[in-house]
Amino acid sequence: MLRFLTRRVLGAAVILVLISLVTYLLFFALPSDPALLSCGKNCTPSNIAQIHKNLGLDKPIIVQWWDYLIGIFGGRHLPLGNCPAPCFGLSFNNQTPVWALLKDRYPTTLSLAIGGSFIFLVVGVGLGLVSAWKQGSVFDRAASSVSLLGQSVQIYFIGPLAIYLLSYKLGWLNRGQDPSWGAHPGSSLTGLVLPCLVMSVIFWSNYSRQTRSLMVEQLSEEHVRTARAKGMGSRYVFLRYALRGAMGPIITIFGIDLGSVFGGAIITEATFGLHGLGNLAVSAVTQQDLPLEMGVMLIGATSIVIFNIIVDACYALIDPRIRLA
Amino acid sequence: MKKRRAYSAAAVLSVGALALSACSSGNGGGGGSSNPSGGSTTAASTAKVQTITVGTAADSVGPAPAVAGAKKGGTAIDLEPAGINHLDPAEAYVNQEQVIGQLFSRQLTNYKIDPTTGKTTLVGDLATDTGTSSDGGKTWTFHLKDGLKWQDGTAITSDQVKYGIERLFSSFETAGPQYLQQWLTGQSDFRKVYGGPQGGKSLPDSVLATPDDKTIVFHFKTPHADAPYAMALSGSGPILKAKDTGPKYDTAPFSDGPYVVSSYKPGKALELTRNKYWDAKTDPIRGAFPDKWDIQLGVEQPGLTQRLEQQSGSDKDAVSLVQSADPTQMSVLAASQYKSRLESNYQPFVDVFNINVSRIKNVKVRQAIIYAFPMQQVQTALGGPQQGELGTNLIGPTVSGFKPSDPYGKLTKPLGDPEKAKELLKEAGVKNLHLSFAYSNSGQRWANVATTLKNSFAKAGITLDAKAIDPTAYYTLIGKTNNPYDLYRTGWGSDWPNASTVIPPTQDGRLVADDDPNYSHLNDPKVNSEIDRISKITDLTQQAAEWQTLAETIMKTDAPEIPYLYDKYYNVYGDGLGGISYNSAYGTINPNTIYVK
Amino acid sequence: MTTVTKPDPAPKDPVSTDPFLSVRDLYVRFATEDGTVKAVDGLSFDLERGETLGIVGESGSGKSVTNLAILGLHNPRNTTIAGEIMLDGQELTGASNRTLERLRGNKMAMIFQDSLTALSPYYTVGRQIAEPFMKHTGASKREGRARAIEMLARVGIPQPQTRVDDFPHQFSGGMRQRAMIALALVCDPELVIADEPTTALDVTVQAQILDLLKDLQQETGTSIILITHDLGVIANTADKVVVMYAGRAVERGTTREILKAPEHPYAWGLLSSIPRLTADVDVPLSPIPGTPPSLLNPPSGCPFHPRCAFVEKVGGDRCSTERPQLPDGRGSACHLTTEQKRDIFIEQIQPRLR
Repeated sequence: MLRFLTRRVLGAAVILVLISLVTYLLFFALPSDPALLSCGKNCTPSNIAQIHKNLGLDKPIIVQWWDYLIGIFGGRHLPLGNCPAPCFGLSFNNQTPVWALLKDRYPTTLSLAIGGSFIFLVVGVGLGLVSAWKQGSVFDRAASSVSLLGQSVQIYFIGPLAIYLLSYKLGWLNRGQDPSWGAHPGSSLTGLVLPCLVMSVIFWSNYSRQTRSLMVEQLSEEHVRTARAKGMGSRYVFLRYALRGAMGPIITIFGIDLGSVFGGAIITEATFGLHGLGNLAVSAVTQQDLPLEMGVMLIGATSIVIFNIIVDACYALIDPRIRLA
Repeated sequence: MKKRRAYSAAAVLSVGALALSACSSGNGGGGGSSNPSGGSTTAASTAKVQTITVGTAADSVGPAPAVAGAKKGGTAIDLEPAGINHLDPAEAYVNQEQVIGQLFSRQLTNYKIDPTTGKTTLVGDLATDTGTSSDGGKTWTFHLKDGLKWQDGTAITSDQVKYGIERLFSSFETAGPQYLQQWLTGQSDFRKVYGGPQGGKSLPDSVLATPDDKTIVFHFKTPHADAPYAMALSGSGPILKAKDTGPKYDTAPFSDGPYVVSSYKPGKALELTRNKYWDAKTDPIRGAFPDKWDIQLGVEQPGLTQRLEQQSGSDKDAVSLVQSADPTQMSVLAASQYKSRLESNYQPFVDVFNINVSRIKNVKVRQAIIYAFPMQQVQTALGGPQQGELGTNLIGPTVSGFKPSDPYGKLTKPLGDPEKAKELLKEAGVKNLHLSFAYSNSGQRWANVATTLKNSFAKAGITLDAKAIDPTAYYTLIGKTNNPYDLYRTGWGSDWPNASTVIPPTQDGRLVADDDPNYSHLNDPKVNSEIDRISKITDLTQQAAEWQTLAETIMKTDAPEIPYLYDKYYNVYGDGLGGISYNSAYGTINPNTIYVK
Repeated sequence: MTTVTKPDPAPKDPVSTDPFLSVRDLYVRFATEDGTVKAVDGLSFDLERGETLGIVGESGSGKSVTNLAILGLHNPRNTTIAGEIMLDGQELTGASNRTLERLRGNKMAMIFQDSLTALSPYYTVGRQIAEPFMKHTGASKREGRARAIEMLARVGIPQPQTRVDDFPHQFSGGMRQRAMIALALVCDPELVIADEPTTALDVTVQAQILDLLKDLQQETGTSIILITHDLGVIANTADKVVVMYAGRAVERGTTREILKAPEHPYAWGLLSSIPRLTADVDVPLSPIPGTPPSLLNPPSGCPFHPRCAFVEKVGGDRCSTERPQLPDGRGSACHLTTEQKRDIFIEQIQPRLR
């Protein structure tokens, strides 16, 4: 297990370094100049040169990238201020350390991702289980058509609709607000219900369909038949044997979906006016804020890598064949 | 103000098109100038324009004019679609930064707005008046009022103002206006002469003098009649040297205004609470009624508009000082239920299509393009008349001296005049004219504009090749003097209500360079010499009239641009707020008269 | 038939004429997308207490389906069952799921073929063995575990105290099959159905497992149904044999009768395809020609006729039109006369078996 972890972490580090390099190269491959966005009406050659110098854009790209990479561990002294480690640079726009922005925004995205995942796992897997339990029933057929509908909607379409109906018209749910778990855990929770719910909808259908077919497949497995041959009750067999077998693949699918989960969280943030990584990413891209872009890319990629390792560990927990191999 | 940041334009433009018939726009709510309803084709010529005047010393005495029904207390909420890039007054140039900056920083002069009539007057803010000039407009003297204090109680003195002006030269101050730096040094590359106060260097008294604690004297290299206006820019105020944190000041400024920055999370939230050392009696501009301003940043559209529409919970005390409604919501807001809390007013921005003079050299061809241009259809494709009135002048209606002028009869034929265009092309001997049109690929709206233009130009026998450009690269690419495009849209706003901040930067051919705002690359020696002559006029009223005449002449004889839209602020605010007035110099809601009911 | 009463504990009550297990006219049909599969088509057989019945046949002949039907493990959604299954006087085909659950793993148990897939990979061997014991006897977790260790010891697993916490994949194939047997026998069932219990194992382990089964049967007096396609396995373990083909019994008799004097051409074929150590190397094995019939659309008449070499001896089209009946007791379902069967076996088949 330890060797497995070490190998995964090392592999992830290489990937992250490559991602950072690609981000740098792509950024400079664009014909746009970030200095043009901060020179206002004074885009004289001397002012642009000064901005390039202030932002460190006057150095060769590869040097900039290397300085950035080293700064993550060692901190940096930049023309516009100090940037203590872990230094992800200073935002081009307001000279705030990117790390401070990431720390401030990450909880929102993480809460959304976790909350949304929780809802779609409960709803999706739950629907799939009931469908598999009552194969061919009216519920089964209704669930599959409803979830098909869920798959075809878009967050930015149902989001405003849900806010209008559930929050403004009916007043059932908070219209969505940034969580601050330390200060207001209660309102943090209620403020996330609607966004998490909306974000989860697009995943319902996939998980209910996958769960249903995995359960149907598991129910015809020989070890499930053995359990029935032992005289164990149908529900016991369904939950303890078939579901246990289906859990591994569901977790694997979840691991693959992590990228989309974070992506979904980002779109949801925009729809609900929440301040997470997505909101940062949008301003980073539109304002050509390279350090911010890098920071968001790296923290997003790191999250996905870490969560994948967690998912793999969960898989091992569920399947003793992997755990004890 | 400045040209709006490309990204905010992108954010606005990213919303899908809403096909609106060109119906009448809503009446302006609250105070400020009103836009009488009427056909949008004639709106520009009938719009009553509030002329901003320069006030007297008596006008400059505090406190600010009373607002009917106003009371102190409560929390006012401001919703902003993006973050604020700069809190350092020296870096403030965007109208959002300026209007929010007014709440925690004061300048030598500023705009006083009457909450009932909307009459806007330039008055002394820290200064006792708008300044006195000598030496033919080259020397300007300001005296500070008594009782001015910083947020820690330190008295404000003239050497702090001098330090604030010197600080504008610092290497990290790159985003703010550069008028004072250039006027004081006579150099566009002013840092060669002076690099800021870091390292103990100071501007000599021959440039900027403080003969006593209350007096500051500017010695410009050339006459500048509109120096009083330049002193209203955010950076034209004091900085307390002991509190100067350099670039970090941009996120934690030290206040001399009615509020202090009590908490700031960039891109997320800015909280302003009362500054107990601010004395209302010294301030003719700021009413400062709410106890607190809760400025919520990064509230993306259309959610922002939806919140103002619904005004649920604390949103009833919310306003968006700078952001117009989402274009998709503008027709909704035109409904009568919103009338009592709708603000619709001109912004100092004029939208133009630049004709690239370095590629289209024949003026007759440029005129043909202007005739063929379907301004009303473009307005419709962009979202209708709520966000901008049809306009045909290089100078917008918020600028003093503005007179409607329409040399090509665009307002009578807003759909274009293809026959006239064909005629001119024939005269010019041009057949099968191909135009390359560049637009920012930031949403469906501009794609719709491209389609509209293609169809209308085809009627005049002109073939349009539309080229979509990534929004982040748009200004970089069209800013190149050798760009391969014939037609591209830009917007320009005045920095203060005098066309000296419009015509010289956009029409002076000697400035043409990469990234320079003379996007059409017009270089007409007659225009250049007129610019020099008018700039020297010391009487502002006469100067304003001369700029208007020059703007008309440029359109008639050079035809380098197609002005087509005077931008508007158009949005609702929460019922819980009163005393809403409008700052037409900034093109924003004026926070200084707002109170929480 | 007598009504259901608590059966006399004496396994071979001379007064009772009812066998311990009686299957009568069993039909099992699956509805599939292509049509109805007649997996079992009118099958009857009996099994006495303490007896071992071998059921032989090619794969797809309906052996396993029959036994899943006895346990009620078929999928009720697409399976129809008709006929009668009496276990110790209790009718099973119409029994409720709850009744069947009480019997399964308790009175009747099943040993599956591939212990790797038949045991859950997610639970320890001990837990899987203890589960039915706890369910059927109400034993506690500790008692269940003790019973599992006891059972593992009985089936010959070394160090059962530690192996009880192992997962199936940590066992070797033979050990796993022993654990499978321990699982089936944990509640001392009166009927054990062993479905190809040795197929997946190598030959030496096969013998050990069969010996184990025999020993356990002697200890407990369990009835066993041994399903196999291997007559060699039958030879050592079964008392009686039913040969199945295309969902029907085509021959039945004692093990000795079936091995020494088989009557049905299909049984001849099965016998001929067993490799023997004593056989000459130059006499080739003779597998049964052709392929097993489709149960979606079985051949008319005698289902074996398309593969049968002796159709001409019957004459006419009787084999393809008329279904031969299997007589009660010793006999085969074939249109050949008794003499023909004997002559053919002695003259043509037996020499090849030497």
